[in-house]
Amino acid sequence: MESRLFNAGRLTYLTLIVACLLSFFPIYWMFVVATKSNDAMGEVPPPVLPGDMFGDNASRLLENPDANFITGLVNSAIVAGAVTLSVVLFSALAGFAFAKLQFRGRNGMLLFIIATMAVPTQLGIIPLYILMTKLGWTDQLQAVIVPALVSAFGVFFMRQYAASAVPDEMIEAARVDGCTTTRTFISVVLPTLRPAAAVLGLLTFMATWNDFIWPYAVLGDPENPTVQLSLRALSNGYYQDMSQVFAGTAIATLPLLIAFVVFGRQIIGGIMEGAVKS
Amino acid sequence: MTVPPRRRRLAAVALAATAMLAVGACGTTKDDTPKANEPITLTVDVFGQFGYDDLYKEYMASHPNIKIVERGTGSTLDQHTAKLTQWFATGKGAGDIVALEEGLIVQYKANPNNFVNLLDHGGATLKDNFLPWKWEQGMTADGKSLIGLGTDVGGMAMCYRSDLFKKAGLPTDRAEVSKLWPTWDDFIATGKKFNEANTGAAFLDGATNTFNVIALQEGGNAGGYHYYDLQNNLVVESNPAVKKAWDTIVKIIDAKLPGKYGAWSNEWVAAFKQSKFATMACPAWMTGVIEANAGADNKGKWDIASVPGGGGNWGGSFLTVPSQSKNQAAAIELAKFLTSAKGQVGAFKAKGPLPSSPQALDDTAVKDSKNAYFNNAPVGEIFATGAKNLKPVYMGPKNQAVRTEVENAVRTVELGQRSPAEAWQDAITKSKAAAAK
Amino acid sequence: MSTHVSTRPGPARGHPQPAPDKRPPKFRSWPTTLDVKGTPYAYVAPFFLLFAVFGVYPLLYTAWVSLHDWDLLSAERPFIGLDNYNSVLSDPDFWNSVVNTLGIFLLSTIPQLLLALWIANLLNRGLRTRTVFRMGILVPNITSTAAVAIVFGQLFSTEFGLINWLLGLVGLGPIDWHTNQFAAWTAISTMVDWRWTGYNALIFLAAMQAIPKDLYESAAIDGARPVRQFWSITVPLLRPTILFCVVVSTIGGLQLFTEPLLFNSGTDSIRGGTLRQSQTITMYMFENAFAPNFNFGYGSAIAWLLFLLIIAVALVNAALIRRFSGGRKGSD
Repeated sequence: MESRLFNAGRLTYLTLIVACLLSFFPIYWMFVVATKSNDAMGEVPPPVLPGDMFGDNASRLLENPDANFITGLVNSAIVAGAVTLSVVLFSALAGFAFAKLQFRGRNGMLLFIIATMAVPTQLGIIPLYILMTKLGWTDQLQAVIVPALVSAFGVFFMRQYAASAVPDEMIEAARVDGCTTTRTFISVVLPTLRPAAAVLGLLTFMATWNDFIWPYAVLGDPENPTVQLSLRALSNGYYQDMSQVFAGTAIATLPLLIAFVVFGRQIIGGIMEGAVKS
Repeated sequence: MTVPPRRRRLAAVALAATAMLAVGACGTTKDDTPKANEPITLTVDVFGQFGYDDLYKEYMASHPNIKIVERGTGSTLDQHTAKLTQWFATGKGAGDIVALEEGLIVQYKANPNNFVNLLDHGGATLKDNFLPWKWEQGMTADGKSLIGLGTDVGGMAMCYRSDLFKKAGLPTDRAEVSKLWPTWDDFIATGKKFNEANTGAAFLDGATNTFNVIALQEGGNAGGYHYYDLQNNLVVESNPAVKKAWDTIVKIIDAKLPGKYGAWSNEWVAAFKQSKFATMACPAWMTGVIEANAGADNKGKWDIASVPGGGGNWGGSFLTVPSQSKNQAAAIELAKFLTSAKGQVGAFKAKGPLPSSPQALDDTAVKDSKNAYFNNAPVGEIFATGAKNLKPVYMGPKNQAVRTEVENAVRTVELGQRSPAEAWQDAITKSKAAAAK
Repeated sequence: MSTHVSTRPGPARGHPQPAPDKRPPKFRSWPTTLDVKGTPYAYVAPFFLLFAVFGVYPLLYTAWVSLHDWDLLSAERPFIGLDNYNSVLSDPDFWNSVVNTLGIFLLSTIPQLLLALWIANLLNRGLRTRTVFRMGILVPNITSTAAVAIVFGQLFSTEFGLINWLLGLVGLGPIDWHTNQFAAWTAISTMVDWRWTGYNALIFLAAMQAIPKDLYESAAIDGARPVRQFWSITVPLLRPTILFCVVVSTIGGLQLFTEPLLFNSGTDSIRGGTLRQSQTITMYMFENAFAPNFNFGYGSAIAWLLFLLIIAVALVNAALIRRFSGGRKGSD
């Protein structure tokens, strides 16, 4: 007999449906405004049904020389791509080492990494900015790529996964066969870590794609923005074309939305698994 | 310049070739005195639309070794200001030509070494190309250094919605509308009449921009300064002109004329589209902002009358050549070209900034120009007449920061967050703090 | 990057292990010893090297900068001890930003975690199409903060916004979401909650699924009603997870920046309104450390004070959670 706490009645479904609708509405509405003409901005009552102007809005946005929107998209793809590859690789290496290899100082180092996850990142942006000025990297993409190449969360996440998913016997067997650690890592460990690497990659890509404060601080040049900075500039200029802005937010969100629909199950699994272990 | 089509195509090919060379030769163009045909890329840093695109094309066609890159058309003045601080603090990053707004140039004149002294490059002969006060603004206080050549000025007018005026039973013809408000008191009286008609729109967009106009007028009328006196002392508290402007805006707010739309905010832009206010103070460059924000649907509904209180100037910029430029000689040439009477007329035709050159103001292309969006208002005549007679206002070192604080105080009154007396105290203490920073 | 060059497979491959029995390490040849001893360090080195330069160094440097009169323009940067801290602490605008930050934090975190608990509880029931529901509540989390702020900025427009229009239908408002301090806090909190409630719900759900069901069955036999079961079994057992979520929300919430910045459009949005009614600490730090002031020393002092505040609030929260959800079981 199951207790009533676990029975899903109509009310449960209804509440969850409402919650999902509320979750989805602002995104839906973003697409609505993106398909309306700019003159609809500020109409009362506000529009809730889509129009047919998306192509028009999008092409005006792409042609708008002040928005640098395409540059923003390309820049964000470069930044998020580079950061994702690097974070996944270095996290897999370090995570595997922490989970499966014996070395002096291992536990202390791991503890240190966990502790740094609790340190607010924005604490460091001023010196980081000074550093970038010295390196001459301000207004350039490496200023947002290089500091993000490793992630404490990533190392921790991969360690947790590696600890349970990579059997000790497998490593021992590889070693017995004469494999070096690196060979073992490449041919035995990495394939096992693939699901976690995919989730970490997705989460990292999304977080980097969506990042705002550090790019905002260090990329002051409106000609060379990330996509988020381009959106900000569009919505805060001397004149504003809201249907262009919303077309922009829609285009910037779409890739993530598609990735979410395709990999949603894995992402949810990743978040929930990370939660249980932490 | 007319070039036969075939030659032009050749020129285009040559241009493309030099452009590629310029890209390939990155870093080799640092010679201060380049040989005549060495490819050079000149970077021009502006904020917003200066209307130079066609001028660049023309210049590049006649100077095939030069490629011009413009940056910052999407920047606001705030963003531009932030970048300027970085460029001149770190000594790198600035373009070969940098635009400075009139509220900013004073603080940069304090360090004239950051800029090429144009007097060393034949600048003195250009004096008559500019309105006398505009020329003075580009010169350091000791008269030894000319750091900027004037681009535009912000001659003032009052833009209004003739359809809303009609609805409210007010005259719609621009001459008659001008006659409604010789003074700001008359403007308030008109606004009250407008409000009684309940058109669903406010009479005025908001208080802050309007206050800026009044403060500039009062400053111009009384000694030619407002927040700072001519010795760079902060005089927000003691200058009667500032207090007079403050009292006027409080009267305007008390009469419930402003629609409380914060300047440059999302709501302000939406209010343009939804026809939520009937008038706004418009310096010449503002016509472009109105057109972009109000959109095609409202074409012909806007018109332009004279501003209450008689003339004034708001805004306008200068082109400077930073001493960190690696192509100074070529940059000076281009700056002279862009600020020449011909260049100013070209910019006016493209985007509407009002020339600061008397010859350009007298040019028929300016004088007889009409703006189709504003019901064919004779903008050349309206703005040009004001520009020649206006009384300029001196801007002290931290003018921009001080102005922000005073206008912010105006806004708190407009929103009902502060009483006028409290807000006036805020304006005084906060502008002092801002000037000291 | 080739930090593990010394561990290339080459030499070791030529020396197969003598026998497949599990010999102790002392029989290993020297390349193998180097491999076993050295490789782990090579694997963790990239993280620590990069983190040292771009993580640890900036943190320590912040403290150093905060003790100097240091701005972008000045050629000299004299040591001034704690003067920056004194000026920050005596600036009413700083305390205003502290109040705003804490206000928005409370207004967002409490409803967010309660809602998340409730939704997790619903999701923990025998549902059909559960993946759809899970994805449905997580979808806000994939949107960018900038996009969220732009969309909500329009929804919360005082005169033209959907929310005031809806309120108008039931005879309420209009609420001036930007001018009124509490309203501005509410609007910003709504953005934060919208984005994070689903995420936290999934984390709670994961922890709930780990609770053995027989605990509930015996409680049900004892006659405990579902609501009581939830509060006396689920919540106490979830305590470590709740603590985790609260600490994470504290770290994130007290650093709030993008939402309030983009919520305020027009001139000086970094101030968070005319009376700074929605300026958070990070915005205040940004205003001073970057454009228009570029006062790095002052900004760094704010950063350190923010750090201390985060630690203090996290500790207080942890103590509160311990006291209020302290059911039968301690933490494991």
